[in-house]
Amino acid sequence: MSFRNEPTLELRRAPARQSLLAALDALDARLPLSVPVLVGGGRGRVEGIESTDPGRPSRLVARAGGGTSEDALAAVEAARRGFRDWGRRPASERAEVLRAGAAGLRERRLELAALQVRECAKPWAEADADVCEAIDFLEYYAQGAAELESGPELVQAPGERNLMRHAPRGVVAVIPPWNFPLAIPTGMTAAALAAGNAAVLKPAEQSPASALMLIEVLHAAGVPADALALVPGLGDAGAALVRHPGVHVIAFTGSSRVGLEIVRTAAQTPDEQGHVKRVVAEMGGKNCAIVDEDADLDDAVPALLRSAFAYAGQKCSAVSRVLCHEAVAGTLIERLAGATEALIVGQAEDFATQVPPLIEQEAQERVSGYSHLAAEHGRLVVQRDEPPGEGWFAAPTIAADLPRDSPVLHEEIFGPLLAVDVVADIEAACDAVDALPLALTGGLFSRNPATVERVIARSPVGNLYINRATTGAMVGRQPFGGNRRSGIGSKAGGPGYLLQFTEPRVVTENTVRHGLVVE
Amino acid sequence: MSVQVDFEAEIRRVGQALADAMPTHARNPLEAVDRKAMELAERDERLQAALLRLVDVTPACRSLEDLAGHLKGYLDEVGERPPSLDAAMRAAHTKAGRVALGAAATAGVRHMAHRFIVGESPRDALRAIERSWAEGIGTSLDLLGEATVTQAEADRYAERCADAIATLARAAAHWPERPALERDSLGPIPRTNLSVKVTALTPLIRPEAPHVGREDAARRLRPLLRAAREARAHLHVDMESVDALETTEDLFFSLLEEDEFRAGPSAGIVLQAYLRESPVQLERILDRARRAQREVALVVRLVKGAYWDHEVVEARQQGWRPPVFESKADCDRNYERLTRRLLDARPLVRLLIASHNLRSISHAIALNRLSGGEDRDLELQVLRGLGDDLARALARSGLRVRTYAPVGDLMAGMAYLVRRLLENTANESFLHDWRGGAPLEELLAPP
Ligand SMILES: Cc1cc2nc3c(=O)[nH]c(=O)nc-3n(C[C@H](O)[C@H](O)[C@H](O)COP(=O)(O)OP(=O)(O)OC[C@H]3O[C@@H](n4cnc5c(N)ncnc54)[C@H](O)[C@@H]3O)c2cc1C
Repeated sequence: MSFRNEPTLELRRAPARQSLLAALDALDARLPLSVPVLVGGGRGRVEGIESTDPGRPSRLVARAGGGTSEDALAAVEAARRGFRDWGRRPASERAEVLRAGAAGLRERRLELAALQVRECAKPWAEADADVCEAIDFLEYYAQGAAELESGPELVQAPGERNLMRHAPRGVVAVIPPWNFPLAIPTGMTAAALAAGNAAVLKPAEQSPASALMLIEVLHAAGVPADALALVPGLGDAGAALVRHPGVHVIAFTGSSRVGLEIVRTAAQTPDEQGHVKRVVAEMGGKNCAIVDEDADLDDAVPALLRSAFAYAGQKCSAVSRVLCHEAVAGTLIERLAGATEALIVGQAEDFATQVPPLIEQEAQERVSGYSHLAAEHGRLVVQRDEPPGEGWFAAPTIAADLPRDSPVLHEEIFGPLLAVDVVADIEAACDAVDALPLALTGGLFSRNPATVERVIARSPVGNLYINRATTGAMVGRQPFGGNRRSGIGSKAGGPGYLLQFTEPRVVTENTVRHGLVVE
Repeated sequence: MSVQVDFEAEIRRVGQALADAMPTHARNPLEAVDRKAMELAERDERLQAALLRLVDVTPACRSLEDLAGHLKGYLDEVGERPPSLDAAMRAAHTKAGRVALGAAATAGVRHMAHRFIVGESPRDALRAIERSWAEGIGTSLDLLGEATVTQAEADRYAERCADAIATLARAAAHWPERPALERDSLGPIPRTNLSVKVTALTPLIRPEAPHVGREDAARRLRPLLRAAREARAHLHVDMESVDALETTEDLFFSLLEEDEFRAGPSAGIVLQAYLRESPVQLERILDRARRAQREVALVVRLVKGAYWDHEVVEARQQGWRPPVFESKADCDRNYERLTRRLLDARPLVRLLIASHNLRSISHAIALNRLSGGEDRDLELQVLRGLGDDLARALARSGLRVRTYAPVGDLMAGMAYLVRRLLENTANESFLHDWRGGAPLEELLAPP
């Protein structure tokens, strides 16, 4: 496959930084944006939900339509119509449209990054990487769809012709989270469209404006209005989509709680529903990094810091538990603590910021709840002062000496809290990982090939990273997705992902007439 | 045309004279154990990887047996092993064998480390430094350490630097006079010379926010500049990867522009010729030096650049155009252009040519002479372990030469050692061709 990832901006160069700041100024002048319900070419309501700047909650970033169940119904109806045309187009034509969409995002990349800084408090480097990932998804699935069309090779016997095709399924409900406000909605939507489905996108209520820009770009690129609808709203709009008998596939990324709820609902198959729904779900993680006694701590400490605290730990791939060999635990904890004290907590728009505010107040309360638990059951190794000022900040924290049954060691926290758990050896570390029901990402720092091999063999996670950070999966390079209760096992940005949005059809034609093979 | 020919002839003459001044075995600067290891490494990329990984992990291994286990793991990944290594692999099957193998490997690594690292502490290094001084070779001390990831580590590094300046300056007061090393036409040159790394002075190097690291490192570099001024020492700020370039350059000039440093100390910065933007950077440096209006000349050390692989890999992973030249000849030609520009920029700057490449060095010496400069207005620098014989040859020829000598314990020294080994076994390097016995004529040809 001749796929190349979109280059990120070289932010170590001053002109690149200046261009982003200028884009932010231009965006600020236009706030608040309005995000209507967009169904079948019509603009619906634009009132109902508000997205605000997590770093300055008094700043309104967007007013969005509070999509209702009726909006969801209308969107599915339109999508069924849209599917008839879109699903019949040759894959090469759909691929062209998606590539035009990628070009559209590229053109607006500065603005799109600026919007994430405002709407989701995503620091620049990560906001820019998110835009690149969105572009990658469009390009990658466009290419994948074109390749899928020819179908796999089947065994052929004389007198018969066997073909396998991948037909689109129909209508896909796309329900993404806010933490990759462009990349994840783009990935799931692009896969649905590339495979020939129509899509209804219900963005997270925290990031409707990023979704609107995506929809604008895709419509401008040639995706018909009927084939792609936007229904901003709260949970009920999403729930209505999931229940709807006209929906064939639900592509979801988000919390385990909502994901499992979707799996349950989608499993119900009322009589009027002419198919079984498929769920593509990417859920939470409790990601552990193992640090072996021979690890190079010079590399491990910065990599752990990045894995745990970049974007304030709000990535499903973030590490929240370190399983450290007892021989180096003292040194590791001391260096991690010192490095955590040196982290720069601040506003996302400041290029220096490493730890921005959390997305919302509820998140702040949740993380602080876990910090209190950690202090109560164990010990907070680093406790930084809360940064002054507005914003849903949470101080980066390192906890240690926790009892094995502490929720801090088992539950997804989704914030800047890292627990260090000391183990006697690598087998014990693998046992601890194996005991977790979540299996999304994992890390290992070791310089012993035998250890690396052993951990690879024992690790259940979807994405294992060795001697590097556990975040930052790249389309095509690190197909991404979790196992066990972290997901259905699909790999976004990898081979095979598109297949979930298709229905395989095998055709066998008898080519024997009167005892002769006519081909 | 004829000027050009004369110039090339002069370069060849200088190069020939230097080659003649080197001991006969000098074509191989490494001895015995190292040579064996190096030869193996040069033969096969995977063997080279195995050797480097062994060196890298040695200080982190808790026992000889553990080290042997690692070594076996690395060698397992090498397809065709030379017989000597197969024997090593067999030894790794028994505990006694592993201990013996681990001991041999540790000894080998220590031996190699010792070639490149002059001692565990500045005090430790004094004997070797004084011996060099007696031979007419100056030293710039470099303190190796673990990566700085905390403020406490940055503080400790700064303390070690201050201690090094004091220790060296105290000792240097008693050294015999070496006029070639102590004066050029601009005036006196400090005996005490320390090289420092900005990434060790702060944990806050942020490529996308250079001011953060600059402000933090300034808190530690300022006292060091004061200490250097009091001790009449020279302080040189090394250049590292592009990620730290803006921080380093801004830090350096923002401090030297401060009033208190107008009259001293002598301070220097590094220009890396492998950077495509280096000509622009040089103009910026000269401009800032002019505006700083200091009473002492700015010292510029011209190097090729030590982070070539890192820069190329990082750029490739990000999809960026690499910031470095991708052909060695482009880099070498740029080095010569920058040499010329820097020689012309005197007396605003003092130029240090830091290279082991006989062509690059001879080019600078010849150019200086042909443009009417004095030999003492050019300093040559080499790395300990790679350029020892070259340094002696330069000293014997009456040129001003200084060895860059790292100090630190085994743990701290490994990253440095790996980089030097990598450099030493790289196919595209002068030392490789030199050891390989390439004819001098070829080695001295224009790049
Ligand atoms: C005293 C001293 C101080 C030094 N201080 C620094 C410092 O502060 N910062 C720093 O970065 N380095 C520093 N160096 C190291 C220096 O940059 C070189 O890595 C080293 O000296 C090898 O260069 P050379 O001229 O000796 O050998 P040569 O063999 O002539 O050159 C090797 C160099 O060429 C370049 N190169 C190799 N392959 C290619 C290619 N395909 N395309 C383009 N370029 C290529 C690389 O820079 C490589 O290191 C210092 C060296 C010395 C001697």
